[in-house]
Amino acid sequence: MLRVKAGDVDRMGLLFERYHRQLFGFLYHMLGRADASEDLVQNVFYRMLKYRHTFTGEGEFRTWMYHLARNVLADYIKKNRHDRHHTDVADMAEHLGGGRRADEDLEKDQEVAQLHQALAQLSPENREILVLSRFQEMKYAQIAQVLNTTEGAVKVRVHRAMNELKTTYLRIEN
Amino acid sequence: MNCERTKEQLVDYLGSQLSASEQAELTAHLAECADCREELQAVESMWQTLGKVRVPEPSAHIRPDFYAMLATFKESVDTTPDYTLKGLWQWWLNLDIPRPILRAVYSLCLLGVGLIGGYWFSNSRTTGAADQQQIAQLATQVGNMRQMMMLALIENPSASERLRAVSYTKQLDEPTTKVVDALLSTLDNDPNVNVRLATLEALAPLAQDPAVRQGLVHSLARQESPLVQTALADVMVQLQERRSVKPLRELLKQENLDESVKSKIEQTIQTLSTGRPAAPSTPPRNDQTNLTSPAQRAAVATV
Repeated sequence: MLRVKAGDVDRMGLLFERYHRQLFGFLYHMLGRADASEDLVQNVFYRMLKYRHTFTGEGEFRTWMYHLARNVLADYIKKNRHDRHHTDVADMAEHLGGGRRADEDLEKDQEVAQLHQALAQLSPENREILVLSRFQEMKYAQIAQVLNTTEGAVKVRVHRAMNELKTTYLRIEN
Repeated sequence: MNCERTKEQLVDYLGSQLSASEQAELTAHLAECADCREELQAVESMWQTLGKVRVPEPSAHIRPDFYAMLATFKESVDTTPDYTLKGLWQWWLNLDIPRPILRAVYSLCLLGVGLIGGYWFSNSRTTGAADQQQIAQLATQVGNMRQMMMLALIENPSASERLRAVSYTKQLDEPTTKVVDALLSTLDNDPNVNVRLATLEALAPLAQDPAVRQGLVHSLARQESPLVQTALADVMVQLQERRSVKPLRELLKQENLDESVKSKIEQTIQTLSTGRPAAPSTPPRNDQTNLTSPAQRAAVATV
């Protein structure tokens, strides 16, 4: 990224190849829509180019990337609050619940689908912290950097989110 | 380690967020606590299941879309150069200029600085001249003020004030006739001997002025104080003023003349009439010999 900052914009391709799946996964979990998530991936990479001078090189590239991604996400949700976002996660939850049979070829395990549904029903804050720790496999220290908080606070929030996931999951299961 | 804390750490354990010592403590507790092992199994199964949640692959056009965006961005960067200080510096660093050209540019820059400096310096010199003109103007104004002060003070009844007035004239560059007249009348008429002496002292350097010389000569007859008479006689010797011989002789005829003054005047007369053969107005010249007629000069030339 430092080389991109120094003017070697072509290097951005390398970063795209390495990180765009992760980023897409994060956005997909947060939004529940593949098409919108793809748009936002482009958006995040565009911002990386545009604001490349703000990358100091002190922190890790990934934390900076998630920082930008969260901003893009917040902008998107604010813009779409009136028409779409409210239905997005609910849609996904319904789709996952109802389309279980269609997914059976890919995902044999019913539990997985139900857990996914439970995850989609979590509050955005709890979902975000679980996505970052479980799916992006980030350390608490890194997550704390992305969220501008302390490691201890992250730990508490992960714990709380896991409890919420458990109760939601058990509710769906029954 | 208690069970409550262990249960809090199970997620951290599964996410491998614990430090080595914390992990060792946890496994030690799990080994002896069946309750916590059970809890771990429940959480672990959920954790593992969560890990199986699949995210769909991004569609095929995400990649071409990105490269298209990158290309347009590059174009926009190329066409709109960065005008911030940082950007310009970057551009400057990226420029590939051969060393000799760089050196030439630096020397041209230095030359330019020199030229500008010289131009500026000469400009400031002309303004200095203007300043000097102003200063000269002020100086003449101050001179005029002094003159007025002096003329006013010299009428003062206090002798010390009059002395001050006389001392002011020494600071004047070119005293006007008014000032000279005032000084001469003070020399003649002032009741105080000290003031008269000071006035004489102030007038002596101005003796190139014929009016001053004449005034001094005339003043000889009017002085009664032996001190002033002696001082005047000295000034006459200094000036080689032969016109003063006559008034000096008349002074000798006065009956109540001080003995020392008498001898001083006699000495002065002698010096003026005989002691110094040549007055400054007719200096002796080496080429003026006894040969006076053209015929004699021609005779010498033919020898």
